[in-house]
Amino acid sequence: MGNMYFRLEKRIRTPLAIRILNPVVFIVLAMGFCGIFITLAGFEPVKVYAKMIKTAFFTSKGLTQTILYSIPLMLCGLGVSISFKMNLNNLGAEGQYAVGAIASFGFVIYGPSMPLSIKLILAILIGIAAGCLWSVLAAIPKALWNVNETIISLMMNYIALLFLDYLCRGPWMNNEGLNLPYSASINKMLYLPNLFGTEINSGIIIAIISAIVIYWFFKKTTSGYQISVIKNSLSAARYAGMNIKKNILLVMGISGALAGMAGVVKIFGITHRLQPSLPGGAGFTGIIIAYLSKFNPLIVIVVSFFIAGLNTGSYSVQISGVPSQIATMIQGAILVFVLAGEFFARNKIIVGRRVSADPLKEGEA
Amino acid sequence: MKRVFGVMLAVIMLVASMAGCGGADTNAVEATPNAAGSTVTEAVTTAVEEATSAEPAPVATKDVTGLKIGAITTFVKEDGGWCGAQYKGIVAAMKALNIPEANLIFVENTAEEVTAVTSAIDALAAEGVDIIMGASTGYAPILSELAPKYPNITFAQVGDKTDNLICYQIRDYQAMFLLGATSALVSGKPLLGYSAGMSEASVRRGINSFALGAKYVEPDSKVQVVWANSWYDVDKETQCAKSLIDMGITCIGINASSPAIPQTCEKNGVYCTGYHQDMLSYAPKAVMVSFMWNWEPIFETVFKSVADGTSTKDDYYFWGADKNCATISDFNADIVSTEIADKVKDLQKKIIAGEIEVFGGELKDNKGTVLVNKGEVMSDKDISAQKFLVENAIGEW
Amino acid sequence: MAFIISILAAAVVYAVSILYATIGEIFSQRAGVMNLGLEGIMLMGAVSGYITVVHTHSLALSMLVVIIVGLLLGLLYSFLTVTLKANQIVCGLAILTFGMGLSGFLGKSVSGVSANLKFESYPLPVLSKIPILGDVFFNQDLLVYIMYLIIPLSIFYIYRTKYGMRLRALGENPAALDVEGINVFALRYAYVIFGCIMTTISGAYLSLAYTNFWSEGMTGGRGWIAAALVTFASWKPRAAVWGALLFGGISIIGTNLQIYLPVIPSQFFSMFPYLATIIVLILASGKFKNSKKHTEEPASLCIPYEREGR
Repeated sequence: MGNMYFRLEKRIRTPLAIRILNPVVFIVLAMGFCGIFITLAGFEPVKVYAKMIKTAFFTSKGLTQTILYSIPLMLCGLGVSISFKMNLNNLGAEGQYAVGAIASFGFVIYGPSMPLSIKLILAILIGIAAGCLWSVLAAIPKALWNVNETIISLMMNYIALLFLDYLCRGPWMNNEGLNLPYSASINKMLYLPNLFGTEINSGIIIAIISAIVIYWFFKKTTSGYQISVIKNSLSAARYAGMNIKKNILLVMGISGALAGMAGVVKIFGITHRLQPSLPGGAGFTGIIIAYLSKFNPLIVIVVSFFIAGLNTGSYSVQISGVPSQIATMIQGAILVFVLAGEFFARNKIIVGRRVSADPLKEGEA
Repeated sequence: MKRVFGVMLAVIMLVASMAGCGGADTNAVEATPNAAGSTVTEAVTTAVEEATSAEPAPVATKDVTGLKIGAITTFVKEDGGWCGAQYKGIVAAMKALNIPEANLIFVENTAEEVTAVTSAIDALAAEGVDIIMGASTGYAPILSELAPKYPNITFAQVGDKTDNLICYQIRDYQAMFLLGATSALVSGKPLLGYSAGMSEASVRRGINSFALGAKYVEPDSKVQVVWANSWYDVDKETQCAKSLIDMGITCIGINASSPAIPQTCEKNGVYCTGYHQDMLSYAPKAVMVSFMWNWEPIFETVFKSVADGTSTKDDYYFWGADKNCATISDFNADIVSTEIADKVKDLQKKIIAGEIEVFGGELKDNKGTVLVNKGEVMSDKDISAQKFLVENAIGEW
Repeated sequence: MAFIISILAAAVVYAVSILYATIGEIFSQRAGVMNLGLEGIMLMGAVSGYITVVHTHSLALSMLVVIIVGLLLGLLYSFLTVTLKANQIVCGLAILTFGMGLSGFLGKSVSGVSANLKFESYPLPVLSKIPILGDVFFNQDLLVYIMYLIIPLSIFYIYRTKYGMRLRALGENPAALDVEGINVFALRYAYVIFGCIMTTISGAYLSLAYTNFWSEGMTGGRGWIAAALVTFASWKPRAAVWGALLFGGISIIGTNLQIYLPVIPSQFFSMFPYLATIIVLILASGKFKNSKKHTEEPASLCIPYEREGR
């Protein structure tokens, strides 16, 4: 025993198999960990998980809800991943989402009379522009005076959400209805169309195409290239004569535009009306998604789908009698475990027999 | 960069054109199909027709003890407030009807949002529940649209009458009236306070009846209103109570779930009423008397009617003190003298007997508009959907 | 006058309730580790403290449990961020989600149960007699008085001691410390754990002093505010105190203004503190033309230390 040793070695390139297997293994470990609590609550973890997965992904109704739930998450995740890619901590997706929804709905109410299909296009664009603008507002202090954008974007969430709340309870409340804080519904002609007889709206197409466009933007265009350079080295970027201020605004703008689009899709595709706390935490979940997918837009789509499934499945967990808080815990635990697990994807653990006299120093860290 | 926007624009236009049908922009916004008596839009009528034509309404009788009940709520049943009261009501009604407790599936933490609600309903439907109770007012428009898609399930919903749903609510104002009267009598000062949650019709109803109760016993009473803008925010609620106390107010009416206000009152040596449940245990030196929901009588009737097939989509329960639904707790003898307590109990009897109409004329709002003429009584529809504060309430809604 | 005293006293209580977390987080961030999971950690503190009080009727014991919970969460967080070098912002969110779920699950049994035991306010003998100041500052509870000690001690520690210098270096240039033979990892562990313990105390303050009950999610966003205050205060404990007082004061004044300016919808008053944070943040840390302001933002905040990178 005495001459066994462990050593960590940084992987230069993580093999694809490990990159895929690693999160899976750690998700299973996380579920095992939460299984302890499920057992404590008096239930059988395996049955509970099986039911959760079956409901979320293998029943047509569950799958529909999973996909519907995932659409805004995808767009938020995409938005966040772009800004995080350039080391800009945009924590404001939640607010940008709300502002996007507010602006597009406002256009529907106050916009001039025109054919509805044109109105829909304009409303979508206005929502996107509003999200973009709200995000740029948070980025201007960063670009001009180097003020930390993390907290500013976070604070702007609260302002946007309170404004949304004001609108839903004040001027935009539906006067014909129940005196609940909901706006009136939009005209049916303005709904995003559903896909081929399903209940899934075409927002999913918008999300997927956005992901592909962004993927292509970073791989193939000079602007995309510049952003990757700035992320890696600010001084190198400056040396190469890149306009960093412009790029900060650009990246935050795109990031906010995508989050704003999430709000638009939610309004025109899912809720069809404005209501308080519309984003429901999607902006923050977007951060988690962005990170879990390593800021790769195509993987964002997949991860959003699974996170949404976790949410859909959580209802069936509750039905089995497991306390509702466990579902939240499972989400948190999965994250913790996957984050921890990443270390093992980046590093190789080498177990060997000690030969030389002093290998101890290497064993640290 | 331009190319990116170009592609995105193309995508959006493609999707929008799929929506197609460039109808003229007559009304871009529709009123939500709701509120008994209001216009029912085409969208919902067709949906209902489809549902009924596809499958004749199932009128199956069933032994009530075999009834499977599902409920969805926004928070948790241990909240010591709104959800807790609904949960207790369901359990008590089940017990009274000998329905085994295992037949209840209670889904918590479900946002008032269509995907969340649909997921919860689908999960409940898969378990074969006979009735789903929407235990938060915000579910009404969502369930109203979803109900026709589940012809085998009866939907019941707390709040105003809504299409496709059995609706139920309690004439809470009859109890809040008594709380207002108690506060005015105990305080002996002309100005009372009211710390409200969010501006919704049911909350305004609570404020108004509290103010009217105070006015009934002390004609000069006025009620200062502050809004926390939250259903549950310890800071905001504490601050609201604090700002009222700083004005020299000694009796505060509340509409809040957390014990923060009673505890703040206790710390500052002033009194308040309780809401949702008997809050005495949280602040024994501050709580005079509490308003308590009692849903059991309504739920018992609903469950019975669903089981024997006599329930219809038009059922609407708006029960009050006479059916023991709007109840108040025992008085805190340390604060409320027996004399005052007897006076208030007397008022309660008069309300039950129909001698006092809380929203009876003449009634003015605090802008001076006459709402109800002398000798008339406000309609149930206006009572449940009020958008005003009465004459002696200070504040904006 | 009584009105102003009352607002100030309320602002002090509010400030103290977030200052525990804020000062803890200042230490943690100065050591180079950002923790945005404060909300979840506070909830864990609040629930563990309240459960203990309900079952044992001992405030001392419950504070002990609160500290142990903070220690465990701190260990977990530093293991993730220091040893495993995971992204700190996402780790924060992970801890937040996990803490919210776990606290809700654990708290089910005491939700709606009243303990009727909390830190009562205790007027200090002589000091509370000082006009105005006495009522505002010296008629409070024990945890507030402890905070009065923590503030000068933490300022002294950071700026006047050898360890404080090391702490600042830890966040600026950990490699230099490593060269001196100081264990960067152990130090970071210690400060992260300290931060988490302070945060759980902040949560316990909520359930055991500010109010006296437990309810799921009762922190209502103050964890985020505590985190925002750290940046707002440019990592200086003294500025954090002012910031917390200002934040508390503004939000209380906002509630009061509702009464005197009823025309303005109350949501706009609620926006006040957040707007103020943004404005002050820009004024305090912005590098405007010609200004040679030195921000104290730790240079290696959010950057895990790698030995090979030296």
